Amino acid sequence: MPATASSFWNPKTETLPKDQLRALQLAKLQRLVDRAWHRSPFHRRLYERAGVTPDRIRTLDDLRRLPFMTREDWMANQAEKPLFGDLITRPETDAIRYHLTSGTSGRQPLRVLDSRKDWSWITDMWCYGFWGFGIRPTDKVFFAFSYGSFIGFWGAHYCCEKLGCLTLASGNMTTEQRVKQIVELGVTVVCATPTYALRMGQTAEKMGIDLRRDGKVRRVVVSGEPAGSIPAVKKMIEDMWGGKCGDTAGMTEIGTIMIFECDHQPGGPHIIEDHFIEEVLDPDTGEPVPYGERGERVVTSFGRGFIPLLRYRTKDLVNKVPHTRCSCGRTGDIYEGGILGRVDDMKLIRGTNVYPRAVEAVVREHAQVEEFQIVIERKDNVQDEITVKVELKPGLDAEWPRLQQQLGKDLADAHEGLRFNVELCKQGELPRFELKAKRLQDLRPQY
Amino acid sequence: MANDAKDLLGNRLTADERELVDLYGRLKALCQRTDLPPVATANVKQAMVLLWNACNDLALLHEEPGCD
Repeated sequence: MPATASSFWNPKTETLPKDQLRALQLAKLQRLVDRAWHRSPFHRRLYERAGVTPDRIRTLDDLRRLPFMTREDWMANQAEKPLFGDLITRPETDAIRYHLTSGTSGRQPLRVLDSRKDWSWITDMWCYGFWGFGIRPTDKVFFAFSYGSFIGFWGAHYCCEKLGCLTLASGNMTTEQRVKQIVELGVTVVCATPTYALRMGQTAEKMGIDLRRDGKVRRVVVSGEPAGSIPAVKKMIEDMWGGKCGDTAGMTEIGTIMIFECDHQPGGPHIIEDHFIEEVLDPDTGEPVPYGERGERVVTSFGRGFIPLLRYRTKDLVNKVPHTRCSCGRTGDIYEGGILGRVDDMKLIRGTNVYPRAVEAVVREHAQVEEFQIVIERKDNVQDEITVKVELKPGLDAEWPRLQQQLGKDLADAHEGLRFNVELCKQGELPRFELKAKRLQDLRPQY
Repeated sequence: MANDAKDLLGNRLTADERELVDLYGRLKALCQRTDLPPVATANVKQAMVLLWNACNDLALLHEEPGCD
């Protein structure tokens, strides 16, 4: 069988029976713990405090003997021992790449280094995802990405070169230039954040370009925001571009993606389980939650040599379901609905929990909406008010009264009757984004 | 390479897998040489890393990935 006929990037390990997959994870985990113990003073201290030594890791359940690793610990370590802390296992001179976390949380970004092998592994994880979503060497892949210090789609770019695709960078282009090039070159795959995929589609409309008719895009690969797995957002992207939209998710801390949607799209992305152990835990108790229950992702990564990552608290909310949900043949389990939000992005409004992703899921059901913002304020120092500010697509102002009423009702229905204010903004008033969108402003006093 | 070499799961390597591991070993040995011109050293390292990647993903070995 020619290589391009395979549905899997790595048929051997992507389809391993679960017991063998667990055996492989254990073999890798034992080696990883041993390496972290001997090479990373940060981890050595962590394990000594917890009274764990590498020889105690005899079964996969022994993973739970290891203490959690947190971003706060990592940041403190980099602050105490600039620039990279003593978490790293190699001299800085062995590195070929330097990246930063995106900084969207407003905190000091983390600094990461990668060796040649790390970088090759990072690109390979993207290959699992791109190949699994049907991207092949004959594709022309366009990256709507700024190519700065944020790791973003860097690994995906190198993945496409590895696959043999025509790989197009667009770092300094305007949105209009990007749209034009996508059409002119007959690009078949576009990679962007969900927000920016929508924005390019809206820009194309304003330029008089019908991407479905004038373009050749058959796949839109999105990453970087939970919206990539919201069905209404995906439908909007697919309606605009005429190609199938697939979600991926990763993080700078691991350097790459750990989940991707396969071509079968069973309602969520598969976990790359031969390279990661993904635990789902109750964020308060740290205890595992069963399949089908929402919890916090805690990741252990086998790939990156410079930075061992074991039991890292991601604060991502997920709902893991068995791999049998999908008929593709992969044995990696699935995160139903992708990344559902962040443990710490929940807002409490008059006693009701509000997640920005849930608000977006409701707003995007209304195709008239071009852009929106969520604003939370405290009125008279007492009552919290939540307002969804909406910008409509051009020429649809007449629909506003009905939409305002319906949107308010839909938001309330999705939030235990909580009243949302819904306001109309002028065209171009709300901010637009290229990378991760910031659509929530919490203006309440912070104590 | 010995015919009884095994992967991380304890399975005997196939002929193709043995060839990959063998190629990786040869490239790794070349990387250790100090008498080759930069054009050879740098490109051999790149090739070695790609072979490592294939062997690692196929669970044929698990070496420290930070090491060139």
